[in-house]
Amino acid sequence: MAGTGRAPLRDDPNVLVTVTDLEVEFPVGKGAVVHAVSGISFDVAEGETLGIVGESGCGKSTVAKSIIRLNSIKSGSVDYQGHDLAQLEGEALRKIRPDLQMIFQDPISSLNPRRKIRDVISEGLAVWGDEQGSWSQDRIEELMLAVGIDPKFGDRRPHQFSGGQCQRIGIARALALDPKVMICDEPVSALDVSVQAQVLNLLEDMKQRYGLTLLFISHDLSVVKNVSDRIIVMYLGKACEIGNADELYENPRHPYTRALLASIPEPAPTVDPSDGDIEGELPSPINPPAGCRFNTRCRHATDICYREEPVMQQVGDQDHYFACHHPVEVAVGL
Amino acid sequence: MAEPQLTVRDLTVRFPTTRGVVQALNGVNIELEKGQMLGIVGESGSGKSVTAKTLMNLLPRSAEVEGEVIFEGNDVRKLAAEGREHFWGVEMTMVFQDPMTSLNPVKKCGEQIAETLRYHLGRSKKEALEEAVDLLGQVGLPDPAKRVDQYPHELSGGLRQRVVIAMALACQPSLLIADEPTTAVDVTVQRNLLNLLDRLREERGMSMILITHDLGVARGRCDDVAVMYAGRIVERSDTETLFSDSRHPYTDALLRSIPRIEQPSHTRLEPIPGRPPELINPPEQCAYAPRCRFAQADCLEAIPESQGVKGMHEFACFHPANTDRGREALAANVAAGETAAGLPITGYAGGAA
Repeated sequence: MAGTGRAPLRDDPNVLVTVTDLEVEFPVGKGAVVHAVSGISFDVAEGETLGIVGESGCGKSTVAKSIIRLNSIKSGSVDYQGHDLAQLEGEALRKIRPDLQMIFQDPISSLNPRRKIRDVISEGLAVWGDEQGSWSQDRIEELMLAVGIDPKFGDRRPHQFSGGQCQRIGIARALALDPKVMICDEPVSALDVSVQAQVLNLLEDMKQRYGLTLLFISHDLSVVKNVSDRIIVMYLGKACEIGNADELYENPRHPYTRALLASIPEPAPTVDPSDGDIEGELPSPINPPAGCRFNTRCRHATDICYREEPVMQQVGDQDHYFACHHPVEVAVGL
Repeated sequence: MAEPQLTVRDLTVRFPTTRGVVQALNGVNIELEKGQMLGIVGESGSGKSVTAKTLMNLLPRSAEVEGEVIFEGNDVRKLAAEGREHFWGVEMTMVFQDPMTSLNPVKKCGEQIAETLRYHLGRSKKEALEEAVDLLGQVGLPDPAKRVDQYPHELSGGLRQRVVIAMALACQPSLLIADEPTTAVDVTVQRNLLNLLDRLREERGMSMILITHDLGVARGRCDDVAVMYAGRIVERSDTETLFSDSRHPYTDALLRSIPRIEQPSHTRLEPIPGRPPELINPPEQCAYAPRCRFAQADCLEAIPESQGVKGMHEFACFHPANTDRGREALAANVAAGETAAGLPITGYAGGAA
């Protein structure tokens, strides 16, 4: 199997979504394809928050969108409660989608500017109804209250709200169908820092209140750590490292994870500043490097990194996995 | 002490709009020593970019500007009124946030840099292009001789921003204003760009104003930091003091609201309640008072003047955080369950209480 391997998959009855060997490619003309996601395997347990972190172009949004089939999947499977989402089509797919909802990065452009927010929030209900096939305005008011928008503003349109409020409305819309899984694609990147904390706390509250499982995508390592139970670090369509959030940041093993942690403006204390010295640019996902995809920029790279793709391996018996031939050794037992 | 390189005094900027007059800047004071790196942090609408644009003489004609800007002994606003050329772009230059929109997409990178040299310094076309190659090398573009003939779309975001920096440095400016120069790029690229700016500043003895919404960037890179809120600088000091012993409740609250990498996951954040004020017809009170946990009756009656040690640590607050006065104000508000502005205070875990 191309490199990443299935080691991080857990044998646990609480696992809600299992993604196995997911591959996504996009044709870009003249027979060329962008290898957006190339064989990634992970799972998400019920009630867990899985963070996906990486730089632009690493495939983190593509992974998330594949789960709700917003883009086509080349191969691999996405198991959700006994259904393989990668294979579902037509009515079967439509029926399962209310369980999987998404909130987007730009809160303002993801709301229809010409509609009242009451209608924006209730659209899913108007299509699906609740369990009894009906719904009432009370439900909308309850949702608006839950996300901290005064229901008396239900007849206003998105432009009358600030970015933070629009994101709250987007969250209310996603909650309307009582989803099991909520996918958050950079939900706070467009917000000011003072508002960012409000939205992050709100997501945490909604997760508790509605029993959600979250997939949280962000390029901000501090934000991802704050919200996640488990984190995947992605690079050029591959997973580099997967593990428990605290453990991963405490003992980062993959050189790329360390590079990220050393590059943030206030570097993590667990890495060396020189870990951030990575050269060059992200290679093209049309012709990704053979072997380890990070080999063009990695200062630890040797022959084997150009020949063989590293396979995911576990750190002791920890919930911590990495795919690297030359993992950075960290003192054990600290 | 010698005259500072840049002095901004009581800078006020108003924009008349159909909805009323936007009070974008309300008396901004800045002093910048030569070779210094000043960070300006604040949220959208706080006036950071308007400050930069005022310095660069880039405001729309409708803007009403008052106050004084003195740069190396020159009255900058007078230069603008006289239509002085070869000042902006030579002595004082700027790097913008989005490298794609600040480059001309239909012109080769080298030509764009050469254009600056030809216009301001009267270089010939050939000389200017040779200098452009040299400049691209200085900003760390691999293979600069090839890059001069490339168009912006052929470069990645990080490389484009390097081209913009090369352009800003072409005429050897003594002050570089960088407005969110790394907001559009990834962290590893951001680190490289900020390292580059640090190196160039040192090599050239240039001063810099770094505008950012990212407190981490300001903390890691600047000598001094000014925090802006609603068109005012509410606190300014050396970076270390600002982050370890802040006085303005807004600075204090900002620092508490951001997730920190060393905190365990699921640490509850302390958001700032409410949102930034409207800048049209603001009331005569501390602009932060409605969101402030320290707010007392006097905060709603007057706008606090800047206090503290001038040039060292200044802040505009009646009840500063991390002082006895602030602690008393907070304790009184906690006891009352709300602030003078009616903000409920429940379960505030802020250490100052």
